[in-house]
This record gives sequence, structure tokens and C-alpha cells, in this order.
Amino acid sequence: MAETEVILTIRNLTKNYNTLSVLKKIDLDVRKGEVIAIIGPSGSGKSTFLRCINAMEQVSGGSIEFHGTQIVKQKNLQQIRAEIGMVFQHFNLFPHMTVLKNITYAPMKIRKTPREEAEKSAMELLRKVGLEDKSGVYPDTLSGGQQQRVAIARALAMKPEILLFDEPTSALDPEMVGEVLNVMKKLATTGMTMLVVTHEMGFAREVADKVAFMDEGRIMEYGSPKQVFEETENERVKAFLRKML
Amino acid sequence: MNSFINVAVKYRALLLGGAKITLIVSAFTILFGLIFGILMALMKMSKIRPFRYFANVYVEFIRGTPVLVQIFLVYYGLPMMGVEIPSLMLGDVDISRLLSGILALVINSTAYNCEIVRAGIQSVNHGQTEGALALGLSPVRTMTAIIFPQAMKNILPSLGNEFITIIKTSSQISVIGIADLMYTADTIRGISFKPMEPLVIVAIIYFIITECISFILRRIEKRMKVY
Repeated sequence: MAETEVILTIRNLTKNYNTLSVLKKIDLDVRKGEVIAIIGPSGSGKSTFLRCINAMEQVSGGSIEFHGTQIVKQKNLQQIRAEIGMVFQHFNLFPHMTVLKNITYAPMKIRKTPREEAEKSAMELLRKVGLEDKSGVYPDTLSGGQQQRVAIARALAMKPEILLFDEPTSALDPEMVGEVLNVMKKLATTGMTMLVVTHEMGFAREVADKVAFMDEGRIMEYGSPKQVFEETENERVKAFLRKML
Repeated sequence: MNSFINVAVKYRALLLGGAKITLIVSAFTILFGLIFGILMALMKMSKIRPFRYFANVYVEFIRGTPVLVQIFLVYYGLPMMGVEIPSLMLGDVDISRLLSGILALVINSTAYNCEIVRAGIQSVNHGQTEGALALGLSPVRTMTAIIFPQAMKNILPSLGNEFITIIKTSSQISVIGIADLMYTADTIRGISFKPMEPLVIVAIIYFIITECISFILRRIEKRMKVY
């Protein structure tokens, strides 16, 4: 892949819960259009790391720069969050809004997109995730896989520059994992910049441009899927992959 | 039976006047108790520590003392603290007494509403807050458009209970001479020398009012069950 512009620069990122150190000096550059899979054992800090990027967690040290602007608790936080979409493990759709309103609400309120336009692009997104017939229903009537696809559409409706996925298939029944991964694969081919915390090794291997292996709050191994999955010398990575594959 | 109807017909003006006062007092208490209850709940959940402490102490104190004591405290306490509600008569209603009665009830109901609203808001999954903030919504909009509407569903049944409690509790302000329904029952007993009749009639009127409120709230709850 040709070297594109770096849009997210993470340096020396640390995160502590009281005396427990969860993230220990993490460095990462995210380039436009890259799909980075973050893998690693439970408790390695993957999700915490991802959640620091849009300030869902307060960082303890280091810096995260988005297009050269620091992400911290300050006035630009809302604007930056609007540019960095997030898809959660438990979808977090708004149960009191229809699928369509879930998708159009933020663009209409934050981007001031006129209703007609917001609804049109929402329908387009729903078509892309294969749920155009569900626009009028409430999220609770949908299956987990369908809810997660709506959540992806909702995040995309803000036209974010980066999309963060926090274990998007971990809360799903096994038979629904495929439909969500397919949507994510399709999204990856459109040039969307994606950071994906996942336990789906197949996805990391086939779809990601880069794989970051995290353990004990550090990125232990970073490189192309081939480098991480086949050529690594790191014993921890090998042990983890043996268990997962 | 006849004697009940006779009393009701004979003193209907007094009874209606009393019912009017009870309704006015209850309506104001429900409205302001709810507004201040929400504010107090926000204070109790605030990141600012003094707000939290104040709300905690307030709620504990009000819930731990009898409403009758609170009514007297407001009625005698306000003038002593230099807060003079001007003596004002509107028709045959003593506005200054009415105001201190309503104030006492609002103070009381604020504490209960605070706990109801807080519990309702905290029962909404934290993922909802994160989902909204991650989209770039402001904290205020997250609260008003995402969290609060969902909390309402949990809050409404308990709030309905509190409204009914307010209507019944309002009978206690008769002790500071507000001519509400309960006071009217006393008055009629004094004039007619019949203790049972006015009490039963007043009980029925209270029951009708609370049933109406229950009915309305049940309808609203049903409408909120769409999702």
C-alpha cells in the first residue's frame, strides 16, 4: 500500500487505574485508508487503548493527535468525536428511536443536515448494510447482528474519517458474526480507515493492512498480517496464535 | 345514607372550595417538586462535590423527618428567618398561608422526586451515554435527548406514586389553617356536629382525585411502551 497521510499519531500513551498500569507507552501511526486489527489476550488493554482514542477513557500520559490536534478533555472534543466513529461491542443503539432516527439523529443535530438529505443518506447506508426494510422499526426487534449493522450505519452517517470497532462481534451469536464481518470487509475496500479490536483472527489476517498484537499494555508486535501471523519470532505472539487458530 | 347526601348537598360550596384548594396545592407541589427534584437529582449525580454533599444531606434530612414537622418549620421558620410572605387575601383564600403550605410540600416532595429521578437515570445503561458521546453529541444533549427519555420509562410509575402521595399528604397543611379538603371536613363537623359524614365525603373526594391521576398516568405509561 502506498504511504498515505498520517491522520492519527499516538505517542507514549499511558493509562493507569489508580496504581494499576493498563497501557504502557504505546506508539502508533494510523494512515488514511489503513485497516489496523488490534489483537491480543483478554486484559491486554486493547479495548482501553481504542477507547482512549476518542476520549471515552481519560489518558494518564502521552499524546494522541488527530490531524495535528491533541485529543483531550477540552472544547474540541465533541468535534473530534464527530470525526471519529465508534462501533461498540453492545451496539448501544438508542432503544427509544427507530432505526432511521438512530442514524439520522446525530447528522441532523451536529452536522445540521436537513432531514430529507439525512434520511436519504441513511436509507443508502441501510441498503449497504442490507437492512433497508428495517428503517421504521425499533432496535429491540432486531437480532444482534442486525443491530450491529445498524450501529455501523449510524457511525458512518457522520461521515467519520476513522472508525473504531470495539470487539464488534464478541457479543453476537456465532451465526451472526459472519454478516457483521462481511459489512466490515466491504467497508474496508471502500478506503475507510479502521481500527478494529477483535478476536476474529480470520478477519485480522484477510482484511487488515496491519496487525498490532497487544499484551500487558504494550504493542508487542506490529506489522503486516504476514509478518505477525507467519514470521514472528515473539514467543508470546506464537503462544497466543496457537491458542486462537 | 340520606344523611351523607344531605351533608354533601348542604355544604357543597365549602366542599368544592376545599377541593379547589387541595387541587391547587397539589398541582403546584407536583409541578415544582418535579422541577426541583430533577435539579436535585442532577446535583446528586454532579461531579462537583459540594453539590453532591448538599443534595445528600437535603434528601436524608427531608426523608428522615415527618412532613408535619416540616410544614410547621416552614410556617413558623420563614418569618423568623426574616422571610416575610406578605399577608394577601385573594377572595377568601389566604395566599400567604397557602404559599408556605405549598413551599413546605415542595421541599418535601423534592427529596422524594430526587431519589426517583436519580434511580431512573442511573438505571439507563452506561453504554447509551457512550454511544451518544461517541457520535459527538454534547453532554447536555446526551442527557436530555438520549438518557432522560429512556429514564422516564423507569421513572414514571414511581413518580405516579409520588404524585398520589402528594395529594394525600397535602391534607396535612390544614394544620396551618389552609382551607383545603381536610380543613373543610373539620369545619363541617364543627357546624353540623356530625363527625362521620364530612370525613367519609372528603375521603371519597380524595379517592376520586387520586384515581383520576392514576388513570391519566396509566394512559401515559401505555403510550410510552411503544419501544
